[in-house]
Amino acid sequence: MVHALSEIRRVLIPSGILIDLRPVLDRWQIEVASMREVREMGQMQDFPVGLEDDKAANESVAHAARNRWFTREQEEFFPFIYSWDSPNEMQKWIEDEWEGFIDLDEQTKQATRSAWASADADARVRVKMKMLIAKWKVMKGYD
Amino acid sequence: MTLQKDPENKERKTLQRFVDFTNKRVLEIGCGEGRLTWQYAKSPRSIFAIDLDADALRVATIDRPSDLQNKVHFLRAESEHVPFAKETFDIAVLAWSL
Repeated sequence: MVHALSEIRRVLIPSGILIDLRPVLDRWQIEVASMREVREMGQMQDFPVGLEDDKAANESVAHAARNRWFTREQEEFFPFIYSWDSPNEMQKWIEDEWEGFIDLDEQTKQATRSAWASADADARVRVKMKMLIAKWKVMKGYD
Repeated sequence: MTLQKDPENKERKTLQRFVDFTNKRVLEIGCGEGRLTWQYAKSPRSIFAIDLDADALRVATIDRPSDLQNKVHFLRAESEHVPFAKETFDIAVLAWSL
């Protein structure tokens, strides 16, 4: 990751901008949402491997900042929603795409299924991810 | 499966609030199938989007609208060895890939 940041700095012009956009694990919220209401059902469980990935990414950008490769200009978090027609579709996605990084406990799964089954016909199941966006400006001449 | 990603377009709105892509030369790292690329592709002068996943790049290339064919380019490359000369780009976007 540090190598990638070094490469990015090399190909950016001296006043260039790096945008770091990525999800960060933080017990993402599960919701059942319809036009009428949004019900919070619980939170995802974060697994160590995903948390380690986040830590490694944060350490890489910290390294780049310490070495004055980039200087941070702006940073914020925003929600990014994944939305499915049903709890089964959500569960399949979690197993296929996010296995080993996050999961749902059985109690939250059951609560989500029940809430969806009794909700309005337009109800969908959502995971609200936490996204980081950070804007970094290249610093050159400190090598 | 009817998965929707970011139905409220928060990502696109936030990205465009953070950086002005107008007439810029952009490198996107980790473009995958180009989902993020299409969020901002209209404004830059050029986009070179890289990823290691050849299948994803194939999808991105197929999905590329005809009016963006001369502007958006997809390449198979790793972020540790970006195949461009120094000081080629105004903006780099790390797309879900750090």
